[in-house]
Amino acid sequence: MNNGTVVRLSDVHKTYRTGEMEVHAVRGVSLEIQRGEFVALMGASGSGKSTLMNILGCLDRPTAGRYVLDESDVSALNRDQLADIRNNKIGFVFQNFNLLPRTSARENVELPLLYGRRGLTNAQLREKADAVLASVGLEGREDHHPSQLSGGQQQRVAIARALINGPEVVLADEPTGNLDSRTSIEIMGIFQQLNERGITIIMVTHEQDIAAYARRNVMMRDGLILNDHSVSQRFDAAAELEKLARSTNES
Amino acid sequence: MRVGSTFNIAFRALRRNKLRSVLTALGIIIGVAAVIAMVGIGNGAKAQVEAQIASLGQNIILVFSGSTTSSGIRTGWGGAGTLKIEDAEAIRREVSGVTAVSEEVVSTTQVAAGNQNWFTRIYGESADYLDIRQWPLADGSPFTPQDVRSANKVCVIGRTTATQIYGNDDPIGQVLRVKNVPFTITGVLTPKGLSAQGVDQDDIVIMPYTSAMKRVAGGTTLRNINVQVGDANQMNAAQKQIIDLLRQRHNIRPGRDDDFTVRSQQEIADAATATTNVMTGLLGAIAGVSLVVGGIGIMNIMLVSVTERTREIGTRMAVGAHGRDILTQFLIEAISLSSVGGVLGIIIGIAAAKTIAITRHWPALISPGSIVIAFLVSAAVGIFFGFYPARKAAALDPIEALRYE
Ligand SMILES: Nc1ncnc2c1ncn2[C@@H]1O[C@H](COP(=O)(O)OP(=O)(O)OP(=O)(O)O)[C@@H](O)[C@H]1O
Ligand SMILES: [Mg+2]
Repeated sequence: MNNGTVVRLSDVHKTYRTGEMEVHAVRGVSLEIQRGEFVALMGASGSGKSTLMNILGCLDRPTAGRYVLDESDVSALNRDQLADIRNNKIGFVFQNFNLLPRTSARENVELPLLYGRRGLTNAQLREKADAVLASVGLEGREDHHPSQLSGGQQQRVAIARALINGPEVVLADEPTGNLDSRTSIEIMGIFQQLNERGITIIMVTHEQDIAAYARRNVMMRDGLILNDHSVSQRFDAAAELEKLARSTNES
Repeated sequence: MRVGSTFNIAFRALRRNKLRSVLTALGIIIGVAAVIAMVGIGNGAKAQVEAQIASLGQNIILVFSGSTTSSGIRTGWGGAGTLKIEDAEAIRREVSGVTAVSEEVVSTTQVAAGNQNWFTRIYGESADYLDIRQWPLADGSPFTPQDVRSANKVCVIGRTTATQIYGNDDPIGQVLRVKNVPFTITGVLTPKGLSAQGVDQDDIVIMPYTSAMKRVAGGTTLRNINVQVGDANQMNAAQKQIIDLLRQRHNIRPGRDDDFTVRSQQEIADAATATTNVMTGLLGAIAGVSLVVGGIGIMNIMLVSVTERTREIGTRMAVGAHGRDILTQFLIEAISLSSVGGVLGIIIGIAAAKTIAITRHWPALISPGSIVIAFLVSAAVGIFFGFYPARKAAALDPIEALRYE
């Protein structure tokens, strides 16, 4: 583990070509993120946030520019190499959870381990998955299928899945987009706890309220970074939840 | 170890869709069961036919009256009435290597004893017939050459005829009226069972051919002559000698067709085997079609499944699955379905073949080879029909797959 820069983007471009049309989704982004940061990526719809996240998550390759993740250049890797990076170094949390249906929480969390090269036994898989599930507050829910879990619980399963391989960085594209405000704060609470433990988190959000749980906010517009600043009045999820509980008791 | 977890992944995926997995495997189960049962029945029938032809006896040449045309199509063996008793005697006398000859006449008629009637087949034969056919008596004694010379009114009967007329009583020494002529029963034959054509071979009365011609059937010609040769090596020579002898005796000029037909037991066996082979092949082919249909069923389900599970595939790729992992997963799913279906199909096919064999009194011949082939074919069906959908799944782009609705 190094303590320096986890993510370094230098003049990254992404151009989509659909027939005659060219869409310049990302037009020269340079960005450095240090280990242990908690970054919220913001901006209007269509400003290129998801495109940038996909590149950060090694789901996609930049059309131009360099991406160095954990001191190795990943901008020119092939499909399989990118898959291995995703497996080892990245945990992805999606807006719509993307859990396997009709599959227990435990088996969903085990999934990245199955594609890892560690050759764990079923008992070892289970032990690891249960431990991570417990760490996101889902003890006793290991055997539940996604359809038996609330949205917030499903997102916790997804977070557990992102954490199981001990990633360098957790990426979340609108992780609270499908959740109500209370559950959103709970998820932010989990992110803050993880971040306290030193895990680097980059998340996309539309909501100022949610971005305020991060330490640093990056604003995008038209495929470029508009501004980049640290959060001055940071929200603490535990405190916010308490406030919320009190206000519901009063009314 | 990666392969191990891919198996794990594939089995988990199959378990998630139990009903669908079972229904998909059903196509293969039916296909393989049909192949195993059909080929088993076909082979059983073939073995039955072969056993029967073998039971004609060893080194047998059959001479039928009536000709085959030059194109080889028979106009009806035993039809034309061209074989005389003297022809048989000439064969006995002049053809080298001949050890036994039986003149044969056949008719069907009513037989009776007491108040019991029965319609049965009457075979007129020489005293050598039971030796030639290797058909021993269960009880009593055969008729003798003396009986044949004197056209005595004696006969031996098959088990079916015996039970139909005498029930549980001992028929030996009893009088059987054949066309109202009283014959004394000297022996009862050992049972032979049904022939491949479903004819009861034990429903028979065998008597001296002289008695049959004089007292039962009338007529002066033989239906056929059964000739036994001492040594298999002499068969061809004997066959040729018989043809030459009979052509000469019947005054057939060179270039004209024979008015008789000579067939060795081997030729009859070959013809029958060829027929049953065609039948087995046809049955197998029809069953094979159902196996292919089962395979297409697998492909269909796998294709639907790839489309339906696009998001799942995207998710798997997002957490680190290689294209190859996805390919192997879908292939393993397809092969598991087809080979589990194959094993079940083999079991059901064997059961079906045995059941049908028992009801038709056939041996069910399921060779280990056909089981191995059926299993390999079903696994191959899985690979063949699973590969295209699997490759389609593996080629998906992770982002597109994740975004798929
Ligand atoms: N696969 C694609 N093919 C073509 N154009 C695309 C593709 N994906 C994204 N785009 C375009 O790239 C631009 C940026 O899209 P992106 O999804 O990154 O925006 P976003 O900031 O995530 O928006 P939102 O907040 O609505 O999620 C948009 O104009 C979009 O239409
Ligand atoms: Mg987006």
